[in-house]
Order: sequence, then structure tokens, then C-alpha cells
Amino acid sequence: MIFIAIVECNLLGETVLMINTIEILDYLKSKGFTLSTGVPCSYFKNVINSLEKDDTLQYIPATREDEAIGIASGYFFGGKQSFLLMQNSGLATIGDALTSLAQLYKVPLLIFVSYRGLEPDADFPEHLIMGDVTENVLKAYHLPYWILEEENWQNILELSINKMNEISLPVCLLVKQGVLSL
Amino acid sequence: MKGADVISELKRILGDDDLVVSSNGNVSRQAYHLLSGSQLYLRGSMGLPVSIGLGLALAQPEKTIVVLTGDGNFLMGLSSMSTVAYINPSNLKIIIIDNQLYATTGGQETSSSQINYKTMIEGMGILNIRSFDLRDMDQDIGNLLLLESIEEEGIYVLHLQVEEDTIELDNIPWHPEQITENFKNRHKGELK
Repeated sequence: MIFIAIVECNLLGETVLMINTIEILDYLKSKGFTLSTGVPCSYFKNVINSLEKDDTLQYIPATREDEAIGIASGYFFGGKQSFLLMQNSGLATIGDALTSLAQLYKVPLLIFVSYRGLEPDADFPEHLIMGDVTENVLKAYHLPYWILEEENWQNILELSINKMNEISLPVCLLVKQGVLSL
Repeated sequence: MKGADVISELKRILGDDDLVVSSNGNVSRQAYHLLSGSQLYLRGSMGLPVSIGLGLALAQPEKTIVVLTGDGNFLMGLSSMSTVAYINPSNLKIIIIDNQLYATTGGQETSSSQINYKTMIEGMGILNIRSFDLRDMDQDIGNLLLLESIEEEGIYVLHLQVEEDTIELDNIPWHPEQITENFKNRHKGELK
């Protein structure tokens, strides 16, 4: 299977590499994922738009990130695998759901977390403090994490999914601006 | 009737294949000691039994999923009811055992007493909601109401106002990893 990162232009006319949404969703389907849930971030706009049209990978719009952990955990208790999408602000919300449910009950979860609060968010102070502490929060939660990149994204995903299955615990992929949506 | 009376009666009404999710604290302890089968006894994750029930209902559409939750727990995860109503899974049944207390932590009051559950749940879009005050009700009549309500088709919410429990039950002896293992073994081999 060959994967291509598509080339698009952002609003400033700069060329950017981006992971093809359909390809990443097809890849996740091939790995056994049959449901998705979460709370949107603009970084996931393309992905969620595609999911809403996809009958084989239903997207459940949760009202809170901890609720999404509950839905995904319930889906696992029913013998099936889902993945999650959320902004890093949601890392603050999921603390109890993560530690007293998913990690305690050994629930494997693949959590895509948008990495807000970096340079592109200089004018968005609401993201800056969480952006600063994001990786420390993941470490404090003992959540294995990878930074998703346009090149070799399938290798990064494979590593994270293998780890998730091996330890039967949640793992996390940090997604910077422009990797999955402009 | 008390919460434990409701759960004891559910043991006679629920089918062997029905999957139960019970909220942390006394409700899970009662589910462990008073119901049969290996159920999904939550130890933590306050506020999440409804969302866990939703995920389970989506993964096992042929099974009936019963969520047993106290009022404090239900109110903490109230917004998850909006998601449930939006998805509308026909195999999900939510039973709120409402003693208007955080009973496990020593009986502190919740904010449940002034809520009209029927209006609230209907307003979220679930029309199949029944609410009964079982506090001074004769056990036989209460049991009949339960039986009749539980047999209803489709998604429903059953709100039961109950008296405070007086029984003390031991904690669940299984580690949560064991709860997961035992629960998943119930439907091993049935997965598509």
C-alpha cells in the first residue's frame, strides 16, 4: 500500500504537506476501528467532516471529552475498537475518566489530541498555558504518546496502535496545525 | 422501597443475556451482591455510566443494555443524556435510582429533589420516560411497576424515587481488570 501526503496551499499561499483524510481513515479501518467519538477542534475539521459522511466509521459527537472516553470504553467492553479526537484542552477534562476507568480497567484507546498553544496560536491566549504543559500532562498521566507527522504517518500510527494493543491501555497522538487540516 | 429492593427485584426481571452497567459506590456494590452474572461494575468514573452504556449499546446492538445509576452520578454526567437522545439506541435502558443523596460518601444531599425528570428527559428528546415515587409504595405494587416498565421496547429512562438504603454491603472483591476480563468473557465468540 502506498500512502501520499497531499500538497495544499494555506491562506498565505504557502505550500503545506497534509495527510490525506480518506487514506488515514481507510488505514484506521484496516486496523479494526469501527467507531469514532470526541469533541471537535478546528485541526480535525476535515477528519470529522469525512467521518460524518462515513457509514462504516460512525462518529459520535460527545458533549465532553470524558464522556467520549466513556463511550469509547463502553464500545471496547462490547468487544469493539474506536478512536477519539479532542483538543488538548480536553486533556484537563479526561483526568478521572482516564485514570479511574480506561487505565484502571485496561481499556485500549487511540486518542488523537490537537496540539494547540504552539506558535500558530500566538494570538490565542486561551491555548497557551495548556500548550506549555501538554507533554508534561501526558507524562504525568503515564500516557504513551507520539507526535503525528505528515511523513511516515503510517509508521507512527502503526507504532502507536501496536503499543496500545500490547499494553491494553490508552495511547495518544499529538496533532499539530496543518497535519490533518489547514 | 429502597434502592437495594429495586436491584433485588431486577434480578428476577432481567434476562441472563442482558448487560448491566452499574454506577460507582453503593449501586455497584448492590449490583455485584444482588444481581446475577458478571456485570460491568464501575469503581470510579463518576458521571460516566450513561456514556459507557451508550458505547456498549453501539457495540452490541442485539443485546439489551441496562444502566443502573444513582442520582448524583446521573446528574454529574447529565449532558451525556443529550448524546444518548441524539443517537437514540433502541437497546439502551437507563434506570435512575434516586435517593436524593450522595449515599456512598455519607448521605450528603444532591440537587435532585426539585427536578422534574419527566419534563427534563422529554425536553432532551427521549419521550419514553417514566418516573415513579416508590418511597411509600407497597413492595408488590412497586415490583409490578418495575416489571411493566422494564419490558418496554426501545430506548427508555426509568426514574425511581427510593428510600435511603440501610444495608451495608462489602466492597467488590474483584480488581477492575478482573471485572473487564469476566465481562468480556460473557460475549466471547459472539463478536462479528
